[in-house]
Amino acid sequence: MSDQPIMVGRVLRSSTTNFSIGCTRLIAEQNQMAPEFGALVKALSSDGSVAYGLIYNETIEDDAFVRQLVAAGVDNEEYIEDQRQNRQIPIVVDVLVVGFGRGTDIFHRLPPQPPGTLDRIYACNNAELVRFSARHDWLRTVLAAADAPADQLLAAALRRAAQARSPDQRESYLVGAGRELARLLAADLTRLDGILQQLR
Amino acid sequence: MALELNKLSGQVDQMGQAIAERFNRHRQLIEQAQAMLAEHAQVSDELRAKIRQAHDVDQSWRGAEPLGERLDERHTPAGAVQPAGAVPSAILIAADGSQIYPDRHAIATYYLLNTGSIVLRQGSGQAPSVKSIPQIFFEDSDLYDETGRLLDPEQINRQRDHLELAALAELAEAERSALGGDIAQTILTLSDGPLLPWMPQRTANDALRQEVGYLAGQFTRLQRARAIPVGFVDRPGSAYVLRTLELAGQNVEQINRQTVRSGKFRLLTDRLFAGLAPNQRSGMFASTSEINDRFGEQGQRVAFFYANMGHRPGLQNAVIARIEMPVWAARDPSTLDTAQNAIYQDCALNGFPYVLGRAHELAVVGTVERANLEAMLGQAMLRCGITPATSAKAEYKRLMAARRR
Repeated sequence: MSDQPIMVGRVLRSSTTNFSIGCTRLIAEQNQMAPEFGALVKALSSDGSVAYGLIYNETIEDDAFVRQLVAAGVDNEEYIEDQRQNRQIPIVVDVLVVGFGRGTDIFHRLPPQPPGTLDRIYACNNAELVRFSARHDWLRTVLAAADAPADQLLAAALRRAAQARSPDQRESYLVGAGRELARLLAADLTRLDGILQQLR
Repeated sequence: MALELNKLSGQVDQMGQAIAERFNRHRQLIEQAQAMLAEHAQVSDELRAKIRQAHDVDQSWRGAEPLGERLDERHTPAGAVQPAGAVPSAILIAADGSQIYPDRHAIATYYLLNTGSIVLRQGSGQAPSVKSIPQIFFEDSDLYDETGRLLDPEQINRQRDHLELAALAELAEAERSALGGDIAQTILTLSDGPLLPWMPQRTANDALRQEVGYLAGQFTRLQRARAIPVGFVDRPGSAYVLRTLELAGQNVEQINRQTVRSGKFRLLTDRLFAGLAPNQRSGMFASTSEINDRFGEQGQRVAFFYANMGHRPGLQNAVIARIEMPVWAARDPSTLDTAQNAIYQDCALNGFPYVLGRAHELAVVGTVERANLEAMLGQAMLRCGITPATSAKAEYKRLMAARRR
């Protein structure tokens, strides 16, 4: 992941616990990140605070025109590129809010206010991801998420957090996260086992 | 609910029956017309004399002057592209316009024209270039004609058509210039509908001359850029060829104002060509209308042919279109074949050109967009100290509509 700030899209709608971003394409380009499941993103508020969230769902909308193109089996590259690049059907990316930041501090709890409509959403770089995931309190928020596929999301986010670290720190990071999960899921060993399986 | 459908059920049944009867009646007439076509297929000097006679006795008569040797010609273009065949390489440019007409019940008197355009380079694999240009007209000089009357929809439609054609000419010139003077690349500009404008008979001569002058001027720009203007008429409702066919069965002496206006085929459209195979076209014709003569005087006489743009064989799958282009383009068989192949390829989705569908989509102004525009306008008025208000009648309608939702 590059250390340059990269925009993912803009906020379509938001609440304290999650928000949705509209973006126009799934392909990474200069200054534009392809949204990926489990990625940490941030919304910058005008008061300087930052809301952090994990991408947990992506929806590609269709319309009658697209359906007809598919049904007719039209395989014309120009039409396909036209649909992908020019037509104004946004890709909706859902984000679970997992914390917020103020100045140099990061808090693993819900922010005082959700991001505003059309706020810019950026991908977090490796340094931010390492900083955000230094403590494990955010795991509880993900485990409690009702609308997101929490277990898969947690596994994907932890893999990304480990990958953001230097190779010699990755395993110890995952072991530490696994211990915290074992504590949180002491009463649900089947679920714990499912998550740990996905981390391997 | 304002429309009480239960009160219409009887009328709808009668309507269905009438449509079926008319369909069968027309089918018989089409069969008669096809028999006549077979009998009088050869274009003779006598037929040409009859066409001249019909034109002379009734200036409003709109028949088809055949530009070929036979009325029943059929052509499949050289290098015809089959659905799974090679991709033709033409540049297709389409433009379409949409409008908001002035409404004296709205918060302000204005009208809006939105021109959508697309440039699709076939075979490039690249996304087409798309654009839409909205223009709002609100000055008194925009809104009222020289007699002080608010512009009517007909005048606004004409202005919209001018913007469409000017956009096509501009884009074609830019494409040709980007090709660095390469004239081998075919460039087609597509308009949704006929190239010849419909002008009411009451139109003053000066206005007619001005209109033809403008449109023919744009065609000349396109001709200089080596781009071919094409009018694509989906499900054509004209009967030009049938009117000519009707003359073929009459003696010259029989042709008078009465007979040309009361032919038995006059209510039929040119379904005569429904039997064309996919990507097959009819012979070339030119409308005998007075307005086409005027275009001819400017070197821009318009010709047309019918073609099946459907990609599946069979009468029930035929999608017959009337395709118009200036005679200078239609005269060259190889240009014509390239143009037809390129259009046919672009009709793969459902028989209508993709580029025209997209140009429409880029142009169309929906009710939500109109409401958003008027909200913006209302805010701009408030900032200048004017309270925006619709008429009492418009307000009533808005309230009623909200209740129905």
